[in-house]
Amino acid sequence: MTESAYFVMDVLSLGSLYALMALGLVLVYGILRLVNFAYGELIMVAGYSLYLMDGSPLPWIIMAILAILAAVATSVLTERIAFRPVREKSLTAMLITSFAVSTLLQNAALLFISPRSRVVPLPDIFTHNFMLGGVLIQVRDLLGIVVSIAMLIIFTLLLNRTVLGIALRAAADNFRMTRMLGVPANLVISVAFAISGLLAGVVALFWLGRTASVTPGIGLEPLIIAFVATVLGGLQSLLGAVVGGYVLALMTVGINTFLSQDLVDYRQAFTFGLVILILLFRPEGLIRAK
Amino acid sequence: MPTSPHRSYLTGVGTILILVGLLIALAVLTHLTGSVVLTRFATQMFIDVVLVLGLQIFMGNTNVLWFPHAGFMGIGAYASAILSMAPMQKSLTLAHLYPFLADIHLPFLPALIGGALVAAAVAGVIASPLMRLSDFPLVITSFALLVIIHVVLTHWHTLTNGPQTLFGVDNYTSMENAAVWACIFVVVAYVFKESKVGLQLRASRDDLVSAGSIGVNVVAVRWIAMVVSAFAAGIGGGLFAHFITSFTPKAFYLTDTFVVLVMLVIGGPATVTGAVFGTVVITFIYQGLRWIENTINVDQVFSTNIAGLSDVALAIMLIVMLILRPAGIFERNEISWQSIKRFFGRAPSGAAVMPKIGKEVN
Amino acid sequence: MLELKEVYAQYGAVTILRGITVEVNEGELVALIGSNGAGKTTSLATVAGILRPSAGSVVFRGENIAGLPPETIVRKGIAMVPEDREIFPALTVEQNLRLGAFILRDREQYRHDLKEMFDLFPILSERLDQAAGTLSGGEQQQLAIARALMSHPKLLMLDEPSLGLAPRLVKQVFDLIQRLHREGMTILMVEQNVAQSLRIADRAYVIRTGQVEASGTPEELRRHVDVETAYLGATRSGRQSGINGK
Repeated sequence: MTESAYFVMDVLSLGSLYALMALGLVLVYGILRLVNFAYGELIMVAGYSLYLMDGSPLPWIIMAILAILAAVATSVLTERIAFRPVREKSLTAMLITSFAVSTLLQNAALLFISPRSRVVPLPDIFTHNFMLGGVLIQVRDLLGIVVSIAMLIIFTLLLNRTVLGIALRAAADNFRMTRMLGVPANLVISVAFAISGLLAGVVALFWLGRTASVTPGIGLEPLIIAFVATVLGGLQSLLGAVVGGYVLALMTVGINTFLSQDLVDYRQAFTFGLVILILLFRPEGLIRAK
Repeated sequence: MPTSPHRSYLTGVGTILILVGLLIALAVLTHLTGSVVLTRFATQMFIDVVLVLGLQIFMGNTNVLWFPHAGFMGIGAYASAILSMAPMQKSLTLAHLYPFLADIHLPFLPALIGGALVAAAVAGVIASPLMRLSDFPLVITSFALLVIIHVVLTHWHTLTNGPQTLFGVDNYTSMENAAVWACIFVVVAYVFKESKVGLQLRASRDDLVSAGSIGVNVVAVRWIAMVVSAFAAGIGGGLFAHFITSFTPKAFYLTDTFVVLVMLVIGGPATVTGAVFGTVVITFIYQGLRWIENTINVDQVFSTNIAGLSDVALAIMLIVMLILRPAGIFERNEISWQSIKRFFGRAPSGAAVMPKIGKEVN
Repeated sequence: MLELKEVYAQYGAVTILRGITVEVNEGELVALIGSNGAGKTTSLATVAGILRPSAGSVVFRGENIAGLPPETIVRKGIAMVPEDREIFPALTVEQNLRLGAFILRDREQYRHDLKEMFDLFPILSERLDQAAGTLSGGEQQQLAIARALMSHPKLLMLDEPSLGLAPRLVKQVFDLIQRLHREGMTILMVEQNVAQSLRIADRAYVIRTGQVEASGTPEELRRHVDVETAYLGATRSGRQSGINGK
């Protein structure tokens, strides 16, 4: 009984993070058809922001907010400086640019901070846990679930109730037509990148919470996760990305739990292999759009 | 543009001669300096030329962003190392290697080619299903493939000793044979580009549907390009393995992918000239920056070691190039005697400049 | 109000418009007719800001609008209903209309406009909260037109409004267009349905291979030009069509 309780808890907490990650990626992809390779680095930026603020008298929550803002700013700036000039040229150019930005940010961290991992300040509350019906629950995991679900709800409201949100959805569906109705292209794209940064920033807080440290390469794993979750859930659908996140968490925890020891190392290969298989038979992802 | 086949044949030979000549000249110059450091730089450069040309064969003709290249390089590196190392040496570093592999001991050339064949075979099998994808699925799956290859190389200890270092590979790669291979692949890349397969590929690059309607089997043609490209990567990997003599799977992952990509994109993916020039130019810049990095670190100019400067610089250069001239330095036309003469102002320019055409805004 | 003068435009390497000259005066309903590929849609695209002309001028109410981006064009008072309607299927009817009114800020105005739309398109008020993708072809066409009207355009451009509609609906759509015209809207319409277009248009241009082949009032065109031939292209009978110019 407790085994399955842990299983469920793991899947939920991991899934919530994965869902947010996937969402941030799909949002930009939906509008621009851009696979943003620099997305993982937004988590890295948030992490290093926290690290740099370590030791300051600010309460952690303020540091966290600043870290999230750093991720948002990085996201919007990279769009403005690197992606926008290339947007009209070609999709491949944009892809390569995003790869270059990713490398740039990682190596900038390497250069200006350190190649070694750095400790990230975390609130005390992250280390707390409590018993509930015989199950040890980490406060951090619980918070992760709550915050993620809250963000998903806010996000859904934004997309459905506000004009901006409706414009974003329309832009993800048919960018050109949206412009023809007067929605400014640059605004929509900047907002999408900003939201993407916001999601990455929030994810970062909990992702870093697991290891309490940050390295220049920390963004790779979340990026891969976001890729896989997006593919699983469908490339065209925001809801699909969320579902994909939970499904991936289920698969990951499942593989970790059930796969024999010697094969566990290959789990990334397994997951990615599965992704390739899915894409081969369903290039639009698992969930049909709309 | 030359119209008669005879004329383009001549132009092609001219291009190949110029590029090969350039490479040979660089090799000779390096040899004359007698500097060990420069020879190492040059060897690395020629190896990179092979790698970049390999990538050009696929990316240049399909316009697809292709990630697994470094992975195939790694396969070639490990395979050729296993084939060439003496059994005694192998037992030191790959203690649990399968017996039939442990006993193999081939001379350099067969080992090199054998390793490349393994890379090409693996590519031919595992990457073939990807050939019919496009856009996002293709980019993601090719990236996924790179990760998968890396994971496998890192964890298949019996074969690779990964994640630890595979050491003790014989230093068979000299600047001379690296340069020879570079020249060979200049020819291969150019011939491929102008071959029927190459033309069909480029015809289908922009419009898969209509290409299919004129009888081009896009999937098959892409596959051929991909296998040839993987073979080149395998050769590059083998040369690298026998140059650096010890390595880990990390050498065949993202950083390497990035550097090769930068060389190709800045030079110009559509042309063989672009691949060669891009490699030469970026090698100078990259190695120069690395040298500065090392000097600063050794002399302790700053309180801590700096690392990553060269990569940051490369990334910035790539971004700037993509903004200003996304198709690279050599956008479309290969180098030729005519273009060199024109560059130095001797010959008049060719056809009248096309009027600036309107661009679709969105 | 709108004048395209000697406009050249291309998609990539293919030149579609080769010096097209079209004029739309205030309050007119002008039709562009011609076969596929003649350049009708491309002409609209050039006005709408989707395509930048390589030569020539596009002047709207005295202002040169060639090359301006689509989001600016609509703010100048030009609204376009594209060939595939391009409604947003995942959004509700109301959300589609709301986007149509994006450039207007006034909530009161929006509410008022909605009511007007319900008069013109009663079916939309019934389906207000339904996903637009669930509407029938004819209803989607109405939605597309309503959405375009929400921005209070001075010029309405319609690309093949009757395309893909059942004959009964075709008449409905053209009646609707005629009604809008009578209420004062300036309309530029691209159509392959020659008969219906000439029935309601003030003037029409016959477009062939990127140029104006003939133009005039419907009577003039019917009298002097073998419109059928121009429409199908003169290849079959080998006859060139008649009069050029107005």
